[in-house]
Amino acid sequence: MTIEAARLIGPGVDRVDGPLKVTGSAPYSSDFGYPHMAHAVLVRATVAAGRIRGIEATAAEAAPGVLAVITHRNAPQLGRGPDTPYWRQPPPPLQDDRIVHYGQYVGVVVAETAQQANAAARLIEVDYESAEPLLDLNDPRAELLTNPWGMDAHRGDVAAGLASAAATVDATYTTPDETNNPMGLFATVASWDGDSLTVHDSTQWPYSVRATLAATFGVPESRVRVLAPFVGGGFGAGLRVWPHVVLTVLAARTTGRPVKLVLTRPEMFTGIGHRTRTVQHIRLGADRSGQLTALEHEAKSSIAVEDDNYEPVAADSATAYACPNVDTRDLQARLNIPPPTSMRAPGEAQGNFALESALDELAYAVGVDPLELRLRNYAEDQQQLGLPWSSKALRACFEQGAERFGWSARNPRPGAMRDGNWLVGYGMAGVSFFWFQPPCQARASVRRDGTAFVRSAATDIGTGTYTVMTQLSAELLGLRLDQVEFRLGDTDLPMSPMAGGSGLTAALGSAIQAACRGVIQAFLDTADDPGSSLRGCRLDDVTVADGRIHRINEPARGEAYSEILARHGLDELTADGDSAPPKPEDVGMAPAGAFAARFVEVRVDPDLGLVRVARMVSAIDGGRILNEKTANSQIIGGTVGGIGMALLEETVTDPTGRIANANLGDYLVPVNADVPELEVLFVGEPDRFNPIGVKGVGEIGLVGIAAAIANAVFHATGRRIRSLPITVDQLL
Amino acid sequence: MRPFEYIRATDPALAVATVAGDPDADYLAGGTTQVDLMLKDGILSPGRLVDITRLPLQWIIADAAAIRVGATTTMEELAADPTVSGRVPFVRDALLRSASVQLRNMATIGGNLLQRTRCRYFRDPTVDACNKRRPGTGCAAVTGPARMHAILGASENCIALNASDLAVPLVALDAIVHILGPGGARSVPLTEFYLEPGDTPDVENVLVHGELITEIEIPLLPEGARSAYLKVRDRTSYEFALTSAGVAVVLEDKVIRDARIGLGGVGTVPWRAWDAERVLRNAPASDETFRAAAEAAVRDPFTVSGTAFKVELAKRTLVRALQTVTGATP
Repeated sequence: MTIEAARLIGPGVDRVDGPLKVTGSAPYSSDFGYPHMAHAVLVRATVAAGRIRGIEATAAEAAPGVLAVITHRNAPQLGRGPDTPYWRQPPPPLQDDRIVHYGQYVGVVVAETAQQANAAARLIEVDYESAEPLLDLNDPRAELLTNPWGMDAHRGDVAAGLASAAATVDATYTTPDETNNPMGLFATVASWDGDSLTVHDSTQWPYSVRATLAATFGVPESRVRVLAPFVGGGFGAGLRVWPHVVLTVLAARTTGRPVKLVLTRPEMFTGIGHRTRTVQHIRLGADRSGQLTALEHEAKSSIAVEDDNYEPVAADSATAYACPNVDTRDLQARLNIPPPTSMRAPGEAQGNFALESALDELAYAVGVDPLELRLRNYAEDQQQLGLPWSSKALRACFEQGAERFGWSARNPRPGAMRDGNWLVGYGMAGVSFFWFQPPCQARASVRRDGTAFVRSAATDIGTGTYTVMTQLSAELLGLRLDQVEFRLGDTDLPMSPMAGGSGLTAALGSAIQAACRGVIQAFLDTADDPGSSLRGCRLDDVTVADGRIHRINEPARGEAYSEILARHGLDELTADGDSAPPKPEDVGMAPAGAFAARFVEVRVDPDLGLVRVARMVSAIDGGRILNEKTANSQIIGGTVGGIGMALLEETVTDPTGRIANANLGDYLVPVNADVPELEVLFVGEPDRFNPIGVKGVGEIGLVGIAAAIANAVFHATGRRIRSLPITVDQLL
Repeated sequence: MRPFEYIRATDPALAVATVAGDPDADYLAGGTTQVDLMLKDGILSPGRLVDITRLPLQWIIADAAAIRVGATTTMEELAADPTVSGRVPFVRDALLRSASVQLRNMATIGGNLLQRTRCRYFRDPTVDACNKRRPGTGCAAVTGPARMHAILGASENCIALNASDLAVPLVALDAIVHILGPGGARSVPLTEFYLEPGDTPDVENVLVHGELITEIEIPLLPEGARSAYLKVRDRTSYEFALTSAGVAVVLEDKVIRDARIGLGGVGTVPWRAWDAERVLRNAPASDETFRAAAEAAVRDPFTVSGTAFKVELAKRTLVRALQTVTGATP
């Protein structure tokens, strides 16, 4: 079977779930309810370290409507969820009297109404014996983990490379804690029926929720069903199975009632992860032409007590540019902080800021245009593996992006460009995003009415998975979009990995491709009868169009799906498909993530310290783009996050470990007025590492923005800001 | 949330009697701050709320000398008033740079003047040290990270900021607050309405329990006066000021004959910069004059590490506002 050669950029069809969303009828987890459902409200620790000396809950227990008050004193022993290949699940809540971070759950109140539970929760008095919390990345008492993921890279001799350099950069960059802040408040609804459990959850990974709840409550996975047909955003916050999910299920088990729990916005700052702060030290050396002779990148990030987190910050610097002498080191300091998690482009968002800022500094040190410097150090191969990339159009990103932006009009001297009170600055950054593709399964059926039903337990957290997988299925089966029903978000469906790491589109798309090929094969097997013009055809002999399978180049010799099924008295034919990436050495190429070049113009008011982003061009190599519109939205959305990272976002922790700005009035994210016209170009070609040619674009939109803005601020003002966010006070 | 009784008031005198007679009662107008403080933050827990939004207090009446604004007039309504645009345009500027249009459609003028501080330590009941919330317990903001806090009228007792934009031009204009209380009506100049925290940060203004703002009287600027409101903030929209300046001047042959200046983002109360006005009066409209006025405006600040930058930023904000309003922008 062949399909039409995939075009690079697929049609920007509207979201198939758009009407449900704009009419408010898409069911998010908080929209689910059950008869006799009770409501849970959490009680959180107000110290960051120590132990609970006592809890006074009598008044809460006696408050109107209260069904249960669960604390460590009466909670059952709970198991910890199984480790994933990427991280451990957070420890189960309410197991002892120790407090290891501010906001840790110390109780849950269940009542007839959410208001009653809330009122009762405020009556609970917890007496703490508090200890001095470890909160500073550089606190010498903090346990330091070295090379936590085995990803530290070493090649050549950095000391020699620096010694031979004509110009060097030696600088420290810092980034703050940031909070994912999806708009949808995370919610869990749990209902037990005997030993069977149904859970509606705000998650990016239903199978992981199922595995964790089964292990925690000691029931078989087959008795647990997790549903997440719609998730109100995640940005990584829904990747792990958080204690509030466990507590909702526990509350339901304790009270014998279905229970709903909706997090408050302040709880969203302590209970569902955050991007860790970093301190990064970079040393670069280059010869007179700007060719790198040494690159050293050491990054320290934070990690919670008894937890772990996947956040390689420095690792990607080893493969971003060609350099013979490279050292990258990642470190983690264990602190009394709420558990972190991946936030859109984990590690890479922070690491890219440091590396691409340092390269800009190097460009000025050598006297080479920042764009030219990057082109001179272009990594043709993946240097750690010594293999060619499965695809790489970063050069096209640089060249086409620069052309569209008008980079050549840039006067390189800082402060040279002006517009009234405003200084004008141009800045740019390159991005080489990491590759990730976990195993995945899907199932496809074609039914007697000529429609298809394709499904997998994936999630669509707003990215467009529903839409692009419907498009892909329709294309693979030769059907119209309205003939394809695509379902996700349910653990009764075939196994899917998380919507994370920009890996779902390749993983799920490849599994769907396999399932669709399988179902066409099943039709060929069935049609192997004298009545069929397809008799004897193999998969490679046929193609599909208009609900029919026909011989290649002979449209007349074929049959409709519905004809074959009717003739054989079948309702449908179904096939499973799975996908798993090959080993790079087996296929002789290094799998490539997306690449990008970001070009930005800022305006800086030097007297008032104001920075405003005036325009931006993003050139993206995302491999094959399944849907131009949803991919564009991914890049634009990520870019807005990048503007936030550059100029606004910072989760503030006070000396007690309390999050001091845990609301959307004090934690600033960009508003429309902060976001100019964002131009996005897709360049490159379909990737060779997976059969559908895609590279995920969920995260790359955010990466590089902070560095490009910081570099533009330097160009405008001559001030090098190495600490995010770039705020008024830093520029006065 | 504690259950409370909700009463929809129809008569001002009755509303006043109801609240005055019950120490646990409070007024409710637009609710844009109050509902947060009650339901989300758990800072306020009145036993009874008297909703005044149906009272006949919604008017904007202009005469030759002043605009009189009923207390439950919304911010958006006042911003749209032609006399405001024509005669006190910096009041309109301040309103339109406040909050979001959704909030301005709900929030009232009286409520705006009574908005509570955004101090993160005041608004979190798990923080023990807050002299404003629990007198005598200290001030966590002084030692914690503090950025959106006051540097004028502040002390180690309290650095909570009055974040109203509207009040900045209104103090500059010598607006008058009309009040109805259990003992009758009275009027207080807005410049005397707010109380600096001193030793009693919990007492924020001259109102006694049960008193109700009924009207704000906004004197008009003389014909030919120029005014501007400049707001500096991290985010371009929908954020409180780091610093702001509301300035009005009467200019004759490049000499400033009269000046009125209010500062925002810096004071525990909306800040009238009297000393700066004296520097400006009868001085040439020049950068030197403006800088001298700015130095006079921000004298003896009380800063913590997170607010130290505001000393210079406030001065530059005032200089820029004066440059803009006198047409001397470089």
